Amino acid sequence: MLLAQVIVGGLLLGAIYALFSAGLTLIWGMMNFINFAHGEFVMLGMYFALLTVLWVHGGPAVFTLAAALLLFLAGVVVYFALVRHVLRGPMLAQILSTFGLALLLRYTAFWIFSANVVSLPQTSLSGVVNLGGIFMPLPHLVAGLAAAALTLALHVLLTRTSIGSRLLAVAEDRRAAMLMGIRPDRMQAIAWGLAAGSAGLAGALMATAYPWSPSVGETFVLTAFVVVTLGGFGSVLGAMLAGLIIGIIQALSAFYLGAIYKDVVVYALFVALLWFRPQGLMGKA
Amino acid sequence: MLLEATNISKAFGDFQAVAGADLRVEEGEIVGLIGPNGAGKSTFFNCLAGDLTPTTGRVSFAGAELTHVSAEAHARAGIGRTFQVPATFEDMTVFENVMVGAFLRHSRRDDARDRTLSVLDMTGLQQFADQPARRLGTPGRKRLEIARVLATEPRLMLLDEALAGLTPAEIQQAIALVRAIHASGVTLVIVEHIMEVIMTLAVRVVVFNHGRVIARGKPEEVVRDQAVIEAYLGRRHRADAR
Amino acid sequence: MKWASLVLSAALLAYPLLLPDPFYLDVGLSFLLVALSASAWNIVGGYAGQVSVGHGMFFGVGAYAPLLVFNLWGAPPVAGVPLGIIISLILAVGVGTPTFRLQGHYFSMATIAVAELIRILVGTWPLVGAAIGLQGPAVGRAWWDLTFRSELPYYYLFLAVLALLLLITQQVERSRFGYYLRAIKSGERAARSLGVPVQRTKLYALMLSAVFTSLAGSLYAIKTGFVDPESGFGLLISVQMVIIAALGGAGTLYGPLVGALVLIPLQTATNDWLGGGGTGLTYILYGGIIVLLARFEPGGLHELWYAVAPKLKRRLQRKERPHAA
Repeated sequence: MLLAQVIVGGLLLGAIYALFSAGLTLIWGMMNFINFAHGEFVMLGMYFALLTVLWVHGGPAVFTLAAALLLFLAGVVVYFALVRHVLRGPMLAQILSTFGLALLLRYTAFWIFSANVVSLPQTSLSGVVNLGGIFMPLPHLVAGLAAAALTLALHVLLTRTSIGSRLLAVAEDRRAAMLMGIRPDRMQAIAWGLAAGSAGLAGALMATAYPWSPSVGETFVLTAFVVVTLGGFGSVLGAMLAGLIIGIIQALSAFYLGAIYKDVVVYALFVALLWFRPQGLMGKA
Repeated sequence: MLLEATNISKAFGDFQAVAGADLRVEEGEIVGLIGPNGAGKSTFFNCLAGDLTPTTGRVSFAGAELTHVSAEAHARAGIGRTFQVPATFEDMTVFENVMVGAFLRHSRRDDARDRTLSVLDMTGLQQFADQPARRLGTPGRKRLEIARVLATEPRLMLLDEALAGLTPAEIQQAIALVRAIHASGVTLVIVEHIMEVIMTLAVRVVVFNHGRVIARGKPEEVVRDQAVIEAYLGRRHRADAR
Repeated sequence: MKWASLVLSAALLAYPLLLPDPFYLDVGLSFLLVALSASAWNIVGGYAGQVSVGHGMFFGVGAYAPLLVFNLWGAPPVAGVPLGIIISLILAVGVGTPTFRLQGHYFSMATIAVAELIRILVGTWPLVGAAIGLQGPAVGRAWWDLTFRSELPYYYLFLAVLALLLLITQQVERSRFGYYLRAIKSGERAARSLGVPVQRTKLYALMLSAVFTSLAGSLYAIKTGFVDPESGFGLLISVQMVIIAALGGAGTLYGPLVGALVLIPLQTATNDWLGGGGTGLTYILYGGIIVLLARFEPGGLHELWYAVAPKLKRRLQRKERPHAA
């Protein structure tokens, strides 16, 4: 049943991928903008969780909330200070803006925290759970399930609430939304907050189960790119499904080919997607 | 028959932008396309120009089937178009903008330069040649777009509201330019809201509403057509007009 | 600006003779190498506006090929240069073909992903030295091994290749290809409506850029005599190309040179202040500069100059005639 264990592990991690990729695809669908610093938002979520634990001694509920809120704020700030200005400019400025931000955040983190791999001190969630022959560390299980639930919640927020429909209205047609009294600028800032917040949340959840260092941001953003492409431009549901698939593929690659190759397969899949099905699972051609 | 568009439909998801539209244009004509906002004129235009692929229907130009062919290929075949919102190359000068057009038929820089200079002359833009396009106002940009397309030596030009937002004096100049272009042998299909322009320039008019062609004929006839009046003013006004 | 380029050329030619100290020669070589790479990036990233943030893949391929042919077959490293170019061209086609028919973001995303992919693969493949990398000939067997004891011949070799690239770029600028590149950058949809073959043009730009980036990598490997996954395919290489071209002025002929002129001394200075551990802070600095460029002046120093120069000229004129009515 080792294979089943690998797959379940992949699904759980994939759920976390889905959570932070959902934010990336939301921004992309809404503003036609790719956030190259998205992986760093996840990484910052992990460190904020760590700092919260060290300074405030909070439990999982506290530090995940803290990470989510702090990153929500960060997302709004990044939108108003940077993104808003480059949106109407040349492509070079758009891509360089968040690419530069990624470097800035990543290497500042290296400077502050050093390149050491860290992990959260043991919390109340520890131990291994036996699910009918499959042994899963409890933190992994909780993190994965929580991520899945939160991604679903994000989808519901976008499709069933008034704020969600306002966000989608701006995504669909900015001018029409303005005529309806919706303020696109404010909605876009909220979208950035949500995207960064969910990335931070995903990071905090991951921190409970996996060790990390400041370098993880680069891998996460690439993973997010693949998930978002596989899921389809702008589709949160697609990102959910794609996240799970990528999680499984990655776990199987690590299992059969070795840990070093787990990312290589995902990146190669990305190139294959671009060649043969760039619209992904849910997108239109 | 220079251009023949048959049964063109274009749907965006559930929304039917154009449904079963036909258009036939003989070489040397000036055909006007009118209709209220949102009637599907621009979508239809984009299907003719190759910017969009119609969901159903066929477009043929000078005997060649162009329905599923790229926008670049349309240009190479001899169809040129301007954009409703001018899409000039802002970072480049007026001269350079037109050069891009001229390079279509002249791969050598000197030949393209000659073509560019003659087009700039014809459109009255010579004195602005070295100015960046972004420094022109909207009327200048519209004229630049026309010059740029003209440089590609099109057989058919699709003008999308090329005269919108111009002062009366500028409109007269523009009409003169369009006439000159026509006289040089270019067939024209013009989308316009300004009735004066349509009446003056167009020999034939096609009227769109809700994605369908609702009337065709000479400008004077079409303007008196009940369906057309209804389309622009609504049922109530038609009743009041009686 | 003709006299400016003449002065620049004279300065570049005379530099090693004026400052023969090995330290200065090294700085000069760094300058030439990054100016060369950035100028190569400039063709696809600056002129055509297709922002590659993984151009290190071509540099790395170009750097590994010469040392590979030396290690596998004892061939002179120079023989590996065409091999590097061919592989880079194949990579360019592989990355550009699927992405140039999609939105611009896909291309940028793909360049990072493929650069990382190759870096990891190379780092685990024993044939190309895995994590240790490859070394060149310790002692030259003949003149064609190009192992010079002094760095001076390398300087003039690099300079010659840079001059060639700039000449080619200048020719491109004046040609139909160059106009089409700028049209694509300015407005793809309008470019299409004028008959510009957008996908094909972008791909040619990427291929030309790849050739010279590969060449830059080859020159680096031949001069240094060593390459490993980090020095060949590392993120710093890709970042440096982008920031140098963008800082000076992406899409202009001399932009990359100006950017290199500003950044190389800056980098050398910060490395000195912070000792060896300066690389982390270098990235922070680079990140900050890139964000500021994007936010305030994407056109770089070139754009800044043309915005400020007329005002300066006017102020100078006013000073000369303070009592003009």
